[in-house]
Amino acid sequence: MSMMVQVEGLTKVFVKSRSLRELALRPFRRRERITAIEDVNLNIRRGEILGLLGPNGAGKTTLLKILTGLLVPTRGWGRVAGYDVVRDPTRVRLSLGFVTSEERSFYWRLTGRENLHFFGRLSNLTGAGLRLRCQELLERVELDDAADQRFMTYSSGMKQRLAVARALLHDPRVVIMDEPTRSLDPSAARHLRRFIQEELCGRQGKTILLATHNLEEAESLCGRIAIISRARIRIVGTLDEIRAAESPRDRYRIVLNGTLSAQGGPYRIVDEVAMEDSRREYTLEVDREGEGLTCFLREALNTSCRVVSCQRLELPLQEVFDRVVQADEEAT
Amino acid sequence: MSHLASKLWAFFCRDLQHEVSYRVSFLFQFAGSFFFVTTWFFISRSLAAAFQPPDELPGVSYFAFVLVGFAFFQYLQSTLNSFSSKIRQEQLTGTLEAMLVTPTPAALVILGSALWDYLMTTFRVGVVLLLGAGLARGFGEQVGFQVSGLPAFFVLLALTITAFAGIGILSAAFTVWLKRGDPVNYLISALSALLGGVFFRVEALPGWLQYISRLLPITHALEAIRKALLGGAGLAEVAGEMQILLLFSVVLIPLGLVAFVFSLRQARVAGTLVQY
Repeated sequence: MSMMVQVEGLTKVFVKSRSLRELALRPFRRRERITAIEDVNLNIRRGEILGLLGPNGAGKTTLLKILTGLLVPTRGWGRVAGYDVVRDPTRVRLSLGFVTSEERSFYWRLTGRENLHFFGRLSNLTGAGLRLRCQELLERVELDDAADQRFMTYSSGMKQRLAVARALLHDPRVVIMDEPTRSLDPSAARHLRRFIQEELCGRQGKTILLATHNLEEAESLCGRIAIISRARIRIVGTLDEIRAAESPRDRYRIVLNGTLSAQGGPYRIVDEVAMEDSRREYTLEVDREGEGLTCFLREALNTSCRVVSCQRLELPLQEVFDRVVQADEEAT
Repeated sequence: MSHLASKLWAFFCRDLQHEVSYRVSFLFQFAGSFFFVTTWFFISRSLAAAFQPPDELPGVSYFAFVLVGFAFFQYLQSTLNSFSSKIRQEQLTGTLEAMLVTPTPAALVILGSALWDYLMTTFRVGVVLLLGAGLARGFGEQVGFQVSGLPAFFVLLALTITAFAGIGILSAAFTVWLKRGDPVNYLISALSALLGGVFFRVEALPGWLQYISRLLPITHALEAIRKALLGGAGLAEVAGEMQILLLFSVVLIPLGLVAFVFSLRQARVAGTLVQY
C-alpha cells in the first residue's frame, strides 16, 4: 500500500448551540451551522512528511481529529493505513500515533515512566514488552534520566518529547502531529525536528502528517505541503510546485557594474538600487522560459555593463502562504 | 495477562499512584466516615426506644439498621459519582482525548476509570461497618453481624455493585452529553436517600411512595443485605431480592453502555468530546 493516508470529500459541519435567550425568542429557528472543513481531498504516501499549514481556525485540527477518530465527519471519508476512520476506528488507532501540543493530556502527578506505562497498556502492550518499549522510547527521546520524575516537574521541551514517545508506543505506521514544536525553545525545536526527520521518517519510514504554524519548520521538514484556508485545502504540492503555482514568473537579483539603458523587453524591473562605486542592483521578474533574462543580460552587455552577480530569488514560503490565504479571502 | 486484565490493572495502578501522591488526603479520607458513624451512633441511642425493627430482624437496633443503610448508600453515591466525575475529571485534565486515541474501547475506558473508586468504596464500606461495630462494643452494645449470612452477603454485594454500576454508566452518559447537571445522579441519589430505606424503614412511607421505592435497586439491596448481615439469612432466604437485583443489572448495564456509546458518538459528531 503506497498511500498511508487518504481523504476524499471530507466535510465537517458543526451545529452551533443556542443560548437560552435564543431558544426563548426564536425556538423554531434553524440552528446556525459552521463548516470547519469542506470537501477536503488529500493523499499521503508511505514514508512521506506532509505539512499542513493554515491560519488559525482554518480547519487543521478538525481534519486531524477526524483522522484520529475523535470527530465524526459530516460527509466524505478518510482512511489511515487502509482502514476507514469511521467504520474501523480500532484498526485506525492501532496504525496511528497522535502527538498533541496539549501539555494537559498527561497525568501531572505521575512520573514520565508511569505515564508511558499507563498509555502503553491502553495501546495493547503488556509485561516485559511494555517495560522494554517504554525504556527504549525514553532513551530515544533522551528522557531516561528524568523518567522517574513527576511529569509536572518537566520543562515544556521534555513534556513534548514525552508526547512523541507516547505516540510511538505501539510503533504506529502513521504519526499525526499537531504543532509539536509550539512551546519549544529554538534549540529544543531543532532537536525534535531532527528526530522527526532522521529517526521517524528516515530510519523507521513512518508517514507523518504535521500541522504547524511554523513555516520554517514546514520548509525544512516536509516533502509536500498542503495549505488549508477557510475550511478548504487550497493547494498541495512540493515547495517548488507551490511556488510555481503561486508565482508563474521567476525573480532574479542582478548586480551590474555600470548603468543599464533598458530598452524594454519581456522582463519587468521590480526594484533598482544604486550601490557603492558604479554598481547597481536590479530585481527582475521574468518568464520561466528564460527569454526575459536573456534579453536583459544581452542589453546589459550591449551597453558595456559588466555582470557582477546573478542570483535566482526563491519566493519565501511566507509569501506563498500569504498569497494563498489572501487570494482565498479576496475570492470570498 | 490478557489485554482486558492488563488495561484494568493499568487504571488501578494509575489511580493508586495518583492517590498515593496526595498522602495526607489519602489517609484522611476515612475521617468523614468516622465522624458520620459516631454522630449516627449517638442519634441512634436517643431514637432507640422509638425504633421498631422489621419483623424478619427482631431485636436489631436502630444503629445497626442505619449503619448498614449508610454504608451501602455510600456505595450507591460512589457508583453514581465515580463514572461521571471521572469522565468529567478526564475532560478537565485533557486526558480523555489521549485515552480515546488509543485502541482501547471507550466503554473500557469508562469502566476502568471507575475501578479505583469501586475498590476504595468497598474498602470504606468495610471500614464503616467495622468502625460501627467497634463503637457499639465500646459502649457496651452490639451491632450483631451474623457470620452465617456472609455467603449471601457477598453474592448480594456483587449484584448490588452491578445493579448500581448500570445507573452509574447511565450517569456518565449524561455527563458526556450535558457536561454538568447530570439529572440521573441528582434524581437517583435523592430518591434513594429518601425512599430507599437508608435511614428509616420503607414501611414508614405512605403507600404510594412505597411502590415508588420498589423501583429503586437500593431498596431491594438494603433489605437483603440487612437480612444477611444482621439476620444471618442464607442464599435461599434472599433469593427474591437477588433475582430483582439481577434483573436491574441485566437491564441497566446494557442500557448504560448503549447510552454511553451513543452519547460518545454524539459528542464526536458535535465536537464536544473534550469540552467542559
